[in-house]
Amino acid sequence: MKLENEKILNMYENMLTIRKFEEKAQELFAAGDIPGFVHLYLGEEAVATGACANLNEDDYITSTHRGHGHIVSKGGDLKLMMAELYGKKTGYCKGKGGSMHIADATKGILGANGIVGAGHNIAAGAGLSIKYRKTDQVCVCFFGDGSTNQSTFHEALNLASIWKLPVVFVCENNGYGISLSQKFHQAIKDISDRAVSYNIPGVTVDGNDVFAVYEAVGEAVNRARKKQGPTLVECKTYRHRGHFEGDPVNYRSKEELEEWMEKDPIPRMEKYLLENDVVNEDKLKEISDKLDAEIEEAVKFAKESPFPDVEASVEDVYSDIVEEVK
Amino acid sequence: MSTIGIIANPASGKDIRRLVSHATVIDNNEKVNIVERIILGAQNFGVDKIYIMPDSYMMGYKVQDKLKLSEELNVEIEVLDMKIKASPKDTEKAAQMMEEKKLGCVVVLGGDGTNRLAAKYLKTVPLIGVSTGTNNAYPKMLEGTTVGIAAAVVASKGYDTNLSCRKDKIIEIYKNGEFIDICLMDAVISNEQYIGSKAIWDLDNIKKIIVSNCHPASIGFSAIVGVNKHINERDDYGAVLDLNSSENKFMAPVSAGKVVELSSGDLEIIQINQSISWEANFKGIIAADGEREIVFNIGDKFEFKITRSGPIHVDVRKTMEAAVAEGFFKIK
Repeated sequence: MKLENEKILNMYENMLTIRKFEEKAQELFAAGDIPGFVHLYLGEEAVATGACANLNEDDYITSTHRGHGHIVSKGGDLKLMMAELYGKKTGYCKGKGGSMHIADATKGILGANGIVGAGHNIAAGAGLSIKYRKTDQVCVCFFGDGSTNQSTFHEALNLASIWKLPVVFVCENNGYGISLSQKFHQAIKDISDRAVSYNIPGVTVDGNDVFAVYEAVGEAVNRARKKQGPTLVECKTYRHRGHFEGDPVNYRSKEELEEWMEKDPIPRMEKYLLENDVVNEDKLKEISDKLDAEIEEAVKFAKESPFPDVEASVEDVYSDIVEEVK
Repeated sequence: MSTIGIIANPASGKDIRRLVSHATVIDNNEKVNIVERIILGAQNFGVDKIYIMPDSYMMGYKVQDKLKLSEELNVEIEVLDMKIKASPKDTEKAAQMMEEKKLGCVVVLGGDGTNRLAAKYLKTVPLIGVSTGTNNAYPKMLEGTTVGIAAAVVASKGYDTNLSCRKDKIIEIYKNGEFIDICLMDAVISNEQYIGSKAIWDLDNIKKIIVSNCHPASIGFSAIVGVNKHINERDDYGAVLDLNSSENKFMAPVSAGKVVELSSGDLEIIQINQSISWEANFKGIIAADGEREIVFNIGDKFEFKITRSGPIHVDVRKTMEAAVAEGFFKIK
């Protein structure tokens, strides 16, 4: 799979945008600026980036409680995202959803989701819609290893396989379901093993290598567009932070974290860019400064935006299209 | 004391080739089952102790627990005391430890790539390669019970092992005058940009294939060269095929379920202990036994040398025949 330097650089910029957005969210949450919960995507940037680099604007994604990386990668607006984290009226959900519910139907972002495993069947539904409308769109469903113990995972894979739906199931296996190590809650190590049960292909790739993710999801997207059905792609990765900000993370060792920090996807990508003369150090600095400015602009926008009015708390609760609630 | 080792790669059989070909998925539970059958086969033929590589799926412990519970285990099992990296380094480290312990035989479950990693360190300990990977030319699809018996027979040293074991050919790779790596079966020069998902399958990017052995009944790069000429394990030569040329057109099974049209120049023989030189005029990657491994730049100079300094390869079928001749199966 040949990649132009421009595409490679775009992927790097996307990863770094996620990194900077999350580091800023971490800082603001610790300072008490951001209400509610945040679950940071730090360390997993290569998965969303590599997967979404294969998608068109009208393709769909479903996301999770750890969704900022997915939203950024599918073209989400940093200002609207940050405003939503702040609970401001200008945010993606008018400040009423917070970090875990960001959605943008205009970009095919069918929503982050606070319920573990809730995205699988939404993705299968999107896949059925694509099939029904006979378009060549695909839906990428992001989810974690823990959610593959939920019935929704099995229902969605089963239906997607039977109906040959254009869905790519991308598992971000970071080794923990909240604080529980995978080895204590799953009888398997590789989530891709579960694909066999549904008669679909399952592959495992290094989720901290953006090229590996790009290639595997790219082939899966090709299959989906050619009406060959769903695929399960497992990306082995690691979250640098706890399950949520404030998590004491007393369930994993310092040595484990250090080992994974050595596999941090961003320095790996920078090494590739420099060794292959895609960019030089000056260009990297230029990109970093540009993204810092964009993040600061998003924070300024969020801070200066108003909170929603009290009346807004009863708006957008029911859909207007349901007669009974009109 | 008669000892054998088992290295089972938990990562084999799950790579991207399941998407780009019709390759089989081998899940880890099936590998556990194969390991179990190897142990059950071996323990009835004089093996006192079996060493197993630790892995992230804990296959060694799983088998041990299961066979203890069912009261079928009558051999000592030791999972090697080594830190797991969940990377190819685990196979290398385990092979190194098994070589240092001078085990009687080592069984490697995986693909060409896993066997290559083990072969780097198994210099004097005989190796049985069992295929649980994809597009495999080196390891074979074998029944675990039979493999266990054969490993026990080899480890017993109770017969002339020359009857069923041979020193394998390999391809030694030198970059800018320095030895850097080996391949068991094939080295492929490609203009791929990055290592990424490791497996190599895009034939448009492949420039040259160097083989130590090749056969039309195999699959992948061995078959691409093998449909032009069969080179077996006993032949004191290897070959190189240039895919940049269109003189010779042919069909070959390049991966599971994929037969394609290809073209090449004439096949060139490389005699044992001889090498071919190649200087890179583009940036790219060399795939070792099917996996992207070695990055090169314009101007890098390579030598690919065919030698017989590979692992001691156990022919399971011949070993079982020798075992019959030596009375291994007789009850005294």
